[in-house]
Amino acid sequence: MRALGYIYLVAIFAFIFLPVIVLVLFSFQAGRLPVPPFDGPSLKWYAEVLNDRGLMEALRNSLFVALVSSSIALMLGFLAAQGLARVRLPGSVVMRGLLIAPMTVSYLIIALGLLSLFNGLGFRPSLWATGIGHVVINLPLCFAILFAAMGDHQKNAERAARDLGASELQVVALVTAPMLKPALLAAFFLSITFSWDEFIIAFLLTRFDVTLPVEIWSMLRSGLSPATNAIGSLVFLVSIVILIILELTVFRKSKS
Amino acid sequence: MTADVALQSISQSFGTFRALDNIDLSFGAGEFVVLLGPSGCGKSTLLFILGGFLSPSRGTVKIGGRDMDGVAPRNRPTTTMFQDYALFPHMTLRDNVGFGLRMKGMGRAARNAKADDMLDLVGLCDKAGRKPHELSGGQRQRVALARALAVDPDVLLLDEPLGALDLKLRRQMQDELKTIQRKVGTTFVHVTHDQEEAMAIADRIVVMNHGKVEDFGVPEDIYLRPKTLFTANFMGDINRIPAELVSAQARVVHGVRPENVGLKGDIALGPARLESAAFFGTYHRCHFRSADDRSTPYVAHLALGDLPAVDAIVPLFASHVVALRETA
Repeated sequence: MRALGYIYLVAIFAFIFLPVIVLVLFSFQAGRLPVPPFDGPSLKWYAEVLNDRGLMEALRNSLFVALVSSSIALMLGFLAAQGLARVRLPGSVVMRGLLIAPMTVSYLIIALGLLSLFNGLGFRPSLWATGIGHVVINLPLCFAILFAAMGDHQKNAERAARDLGASELQVVALVTAPMLKPALLAAFFLSITFSWDEFIIAFLLTRFDVTLPVEIWSMLRSGLSPATNAIGSLVFLVSIVILIILELTVFRKSKS
Repeated sequence: MTADVALQSISQSFGTFRALDNIDLSFGAGEFVVLLGPSGCGKSTLLFILGGFLSPSRGTVKIGGRDMDGVAPRNRPTTTMFQDYALFPHMTLRDNVGFGLRMKGMGRAARNAKADDMLDLVGLCDKAGRKPHELSGGQRQRVALARALAVDPDVLLLDEPLGALDLKLRRQMQDELKTIQRKVGTTFVHVTHDQEEAMAIADRIVVMNHGKVEDFGVPEDIYLRPKTLFTANFMGDINRIPAELVSAQARVVHGVRPENVGLKGDIALGPARLESAAFFGTYHRCHFRSADDRSTPYVAHLALGDLPAVDAIVPLFASHVVALRETA
């Protein structure tokens, strides 16, 4: 029975990670095709990828869109959560529902909606349009995480700060934000990873300047190459780095 | 610093619920006042009105003679010590205590020195660099007190600050609160539902019920000479004496505390049968029932050695009988 358990454990991790391992392994392929037999290791595809101006441009675009859209989504989500947690308004529940609703809509539908809206407004597809799309998908996430993290405990500390002479701005800067730091970081980094990986909105809402997933997709159209494995491995590496930062900064602290 | 407080015809309604009904009170500068009453009597509402977290539906609050209408909590000469302490979890004790001074624009060195003085006052100067989660409940409570006093308020408001502590720690903190209040001279307004706590710390007690003031006075008067039946009942056991035994007045009942019922006294209650008795260390708590056809129940605290046998019929007497109004 014990052996069966271990076999199951190995099988499930193999199932999850085998595709990634294959991807990373064949990024070190020396030949022209990322298929067995493995004839590496070689770093030549990494060299090619890093010297590809189009790819590097797309990588910078992706980072830019991720950072800017996540910052905006975080700020709007924080303000909405703070407002709805502190002030009792008529229809609070409905407003909360409407704010979270976009999470349940498929990215394709959101992308199509934004595409036709922007067309109607005469707003050309661009990185900015993609950024707006990413704010649409990440704002509900930031709102939900931050709203859940705000409790009575926090409300009382804010009241105490006001009692001791803090202005509203000081309350937010010195009490609310520091107390919510783990939730703020979690929301921000999750937004960055979602924006970084997002393809369909970026595909429909960009034209000349594209993000990395769109660039990789157009590389794939000209057939398999270890170069796509190499860029895929780099993207994976970035995600891992973000995850490790998150683990070290946010989750460790929230435990204590 | 310190200031007197005047509440003039304060009323507060929440929808159709009348939380406070025409409250008139005034406290002297440097007084330790306790607002006492059962939950829902409006004592916390009154405290929040003093702190500026609520504005009353009607009436005026004056602190040091100054009308507080429209003055936000941050601009009032009051600070509040909240029920759950509301310490800032991400700051050290020193930064917690210095927060109010920082808001006043005091420089870091000066406010750290003041914060350390305040922590010294509450006996926590060796823990200035710790965070609140490293402290026990009683210690957190002291930090909250130091933080509220650091800004030299004229009036300190305490919202059931000892409610979360166990009994022994609570009695100890009561003594400390009283000592610190004497030292700083600030007017303290303290809310509680514990009548022993109120008697232990108050200069004067305000007894509240259903949004009204039932009684207001020094602890001795509140306990020994309560004005209303509610106050008498709330402050401890009270025996009602049948009207025929004393000179009867309309809308007044006569009561006597168990410790003033005994085998001798001023007013004869007639023969009574001892139904049960329990030993309480310094006295016997006895349940009597009068042997006449009224069979009035009496509770008496008899001195050690005075205990009759159970079922014995003895003559009972009362002294220090008080006349009580049915309502305020």
